[in-house]
Amino acid sequence: MKPDYAIARADLIDGIFAFEIWTRLGWQEVKRRYRRTVFGPLWATLSLGIFISAISFVWAPLFNADVRTYLPYLTAGMVSWSFVAALITEGCASFTAGEGIIKQLNFPYSTFAFMVVWRNTIVLFHHLAILIVVYIALPERVSFNILLFIPGVLIVAVNGAWIVMLLGMVSARFRDIPPLIGNLVQVMLFITPIFWEPSQLGAKARYFVTPNYLYHLVDILRSPLLGDRPALLSYATTIVGAILGWAITLMIYARFRRRIAFWL
Amino acid sequence: MATAILDNVTVDFPIYGSSHKNLRQTLFAGTAKLFGHEVPRQSRVVVRALENVTFELNDGDRLGLIGHNGAGKSTLLRVLAGVYAPTGGTIRLDGRISPLFITSPGLDLDDTGYENIKTCGMFLGMNASEIKARIVDIARFSELGEYLDLPVRTYSSGMLTRLGFAIATSIEPDILLLDEGLATGDVRFATQAEERLKHLIARSSILVLASHSDAMIKTMCNRCALLEKGHLISIGPVKQVIDLYHQRTKAQAAAIGGAVAIS
Repeated sequence: MKPDYAIARADLIDGIFAFEIWTRLGWQEVKRRYRRTVFGPLWATLSLGIFISAISFVWAPLFNADVRTYLPYLTAGMVSWSFVAALITEGCASFTAGEGIIKQLNFPYSTFAFMVVWRNTIVLFHHLAILIVVYIALPERVSFNILLFIPGVLIVAVNGAWIVMLLGMVSARFRDIPPLIGNLVQVMLFITPIFWEPSQLGAKARYFVTPNYLYHLVDILRSPLLGDRPALLSYATTIVGAILGWAITLMIYARFRRRIAFWL
Repeated sequence: MATAILDNVTVDFPIYGSSHKNLRQTLFAGTAKLFGHEVPRQSRVVVRALENVTFELNDGDRLGLIGHNGAGKSTLLRVLAGVYAPTGGTIRLDGRISPLFITSPGLDLDDTGYENIKTCGMFLGMNASEIKARIVDIARFSELGEYLDLPVRTYSSGMLTRLGFAIATSIEPDILLLDEGLATGDVRFATQAEERLKHLIARSSILVLASHSDAMIKTMCNRCALLEKGHLISIGPVKQVIDLYHQRTKAQAAAIGGAVAIS
């Protein structure tokens, strides 16, 4: 099949301009999941908060860490991780979930990818409520570096968009991909430094941590939340990753955009 | 000015999940090849839904599509809609395409009627200000009144049909595509709906309508195309093509009947 960059480009541009649709649908999807509950979308935040506090108090002694340092570290890490992980796992369903529309209307498919990114960005900002609780308890963790969280979210979202498009496409064709990715993401939670710090691994850390792309995505979100500045390496990796990722995704998208409707 | 030009359009549907290779088979075949084993190339299961369909539509054309179930009417409509890209041949479209195969795309049962008017309207190609301009008209025609403030899961199926119809018929189409008309519901609503549908069609510059109803094709169309097993058998004046369709159906029935009699 010959690549058709005009179709891929038009799909992306139309998709971006359909922001009225994906912002609306993204927000509605968040509301829908917790409809008729008292806490609404804050349920996701509440359950994450309960998880973090339970783990913190049991695991801090396990790692010989002070709860006052471990709690903010784990909180910022889990909040960042759940954003990155949700983009990957939910990305697998981005196109299959849009089947009802894709097979009936001529629609820029990228809209569905942007919707997934937007929805999870909304959830991320809900999760910040947990951090606010932590900041009230431990105000010394707040610094001006927290402003770096915003560019961090932007970089992760731009990365997330290509990941969602690519995984959505591959998953539409090969239905083994979503369970496979779901499993990998689960494992990555323990391999990526979220519960532990890279320094605890010592010199071996660079073999496990440096090549882990997810670590860099987490780092540019987590460090600002902890009042630190993310490593330059993390910025470099994620920005280059965004460019390369988009280039590869576009190449594949140009080739297979026309086939997606047949795969669903 | 709207036009649609189809040149030798062919559409093959790959059938996945039957005997077609899945990821595991793809990987196994790939690895085997890597180690120098011969791998028999699996024949892909493909259904040819349209074959070498060629015709042209211009402003004012109202084309009726007829043919048996599975003849390719819906596929042809979806090719015109841009849902399926032709696997062979080319298609050139000028003008805004409005496929109305489903009246309420993106409908969310937990949302209120008003919220769904916005969502469905956006999917049907209206922007926020266009929807705002039409929402009163949609609400009035649907006759749902205060129900529009309630979640649509509380609606009866007839009420849902009315809402969908009111939304779908409020678009400004260029090239309008209809599959078996639009669902209308009870008799009283059906008469009002017919009137509204006529207005919608009058606003469009090209109509393509697939239907099993001769009466519908005769009242709404000025051209007619007969499809059979993915082939375009004939395209021309409505009466002539419908007569041909019935002749061929009779002849086929006779042929089957004859075969049965001989055996």
